[in-house]
Amino acid sequence: MSATIPDKDLLGRPLTAHERELMDLYLRLKSMSANTDLPPCALMNCRQAMVMLWNACVDLNLVFEEPGVD
Amino acid sequence: MTTDVPYWNPKCETLPREDLRRLQTKKLRVVAERAYAQSPFHRRLMDQAKAKPHRIRRYEDIRRLPFTTREAWMECQAQTPMFGDMLAQPPDDAMRYHLTSGTTGRTPLRVLDGRTDWKWIAECWCYGFHGFGVRPKDVVFFAFSYGTFIGFWGAHYSCEKMGCLVLPSGNMTTENRVKQLVEMGATTVCATPTYALRMAQEAQKMGIDIPKHGKVQRVIVSGEPAGSIPATKKLIEDMWGAKCGDTAGMTEIGTIMVFECSHQPGGVHVIEDHFIEEVLDPDSGEPVGYGERGERVVTSFGRGFIPLLRYRTKDLVVKVPHSKCTCGRTFDIFDGGILGRVDDMKLVRGTNVYPRAVEAIVREHGEVEEFQIILTRQDGLRDEITVQVELKPSAAARWPFIEKKLGKDLADAHEGLRFNLVQASTGELPRFELKAKRLQDLRTKP
Repeated sequence: MSATIPDKDLLGRPLTAHERELMDLYLRLKSMSANTDLPPCALMNCRQAMVMLWNACVDLNLVFEEPGVD
Repeated sequence: MTTDVPYWNPKCETLPREDLRRLQTKKLRVVAERAYAQSPFHRRLMDQAKAKPHRIRRYEDIRRLPFTTREAWMECQAQTPMFGDMLAQPPDDAMRYHLTSGTTGRTPLRVLDGRTDWKWIAECWCYGFHGFGVRPKDVVFFAFSYGTFIGFWGAHYSCEKMGCLVLPSGNMTTENRVKQLVEMGATTVCATPTYALRMAQEAQKMGIDIPKHGKVQRVIVSGEPAGSIPATKKLIEDMWGAKCGDTAGMTEIGTIMVFECSHQPGGVHVIEDHFIEEVLDPDSGEPVGYGERGERVVTSFGRGFIPLLRYRTKDLVVKVPHSKCTCGRTFDIFDGGILGRVDDMKLVRGTNVYPRAVEAIVREHGEVEEFQIILTRQDGLRDEITVQVELKPSAAARWPFIEKKLGKDLADAHEGLRFNLVQASTGELPRFELKAKRLQDLRTKP
């Protein structure tokens, strides 16, 4: 189950459609990355992909957190 | 594709200053709260200073937080080997280890990083490379040895992320590097300023006219202040027939915190959505204004494994407003890059050398009576470090053994940096009654 996509960025500005989509991808990948039942090939690639999305979302001020996958 | 925009992150690189401050304040509070909760080192420092992270509400509240010093960091590593109690995550979760020379002896400063850290490290380099004009079609040559010295590692990954063709030259000779970068049509070359000049000089010796035979458009330098020294920058640009862009970073934060944009404003922009760079009077710790020289004190928002709050870098800088540059970024600028040091640290071919650390290693050899450290610049390009060693008369015959052992010990403590060792005759070196002066820096520039 993914977390809720925020309506506004860290500075209180409404998210654009692209930003909402990026956040959605990030949150879904973050959720998948916590699923240790996945085979290594899926889990580790999910985590890599999630961290790349994390970079984009942090750069765009959509989120500021440690995703906790190390 | 949108890669032709001048900014890697248009949203933040052009944020109004007041919004940038609000963003930094929000991030500062999160980072400080996390450091307090997860890093015993930071919790101890904050408790001693009676600092409460949850009370950070305004940008100025950063001054409530205590400074972090390299000495305290090294001390915590000595107390709790090998990484100290500064980490905010268990060492088992790390995926990368790097180190930099210590300040007082052979023990290095050790850093561990996790997965997110390294993605962030590359991300910060992307700001710099994109900002200086690097694009996916570029061919980027890294003249870098790829060891535990952090150097251009993050830059390498940033260029892979950006879609460039990356040429890692690893342990190649200078001659082979020159050959390959010309043969492969490298458009961007990354090196220390000293080594950029060395390669250009080697090309001339080989009869290769790089501006004519090569395709290099940019030389991106790091690791030494010379990238922002106008005369050195001009020399690099003339020898390569390319623009030279400066960057600066440090092992303690894992990446660059400043970069020169393609408008070349005579300084470097601070990546202010990922760092707070304060400039303080090194003695009083009070902020200095725009245009005044002071010590840079960095707070990093990106490194999860090792939170870094108000770290006293001992680098001297002069901050000026972003409006000095015509690029449109709202990130302020360190005019002239990194200008020097508050302490006695020297940079030799990108490696930090502390005279007291060299002394600690030399003094482990009981046969040594006296010594001198001499820094020179060969052919106006290549920095050399020489240690003149005077042995006790009874130990003079042991020089071949001492030369080999001491040379290895010094190199091991300085990321492999080669020290030239020269035996001085008995009574040759100066003796000191008061404050010893055992280092002579004969280079014309820092």
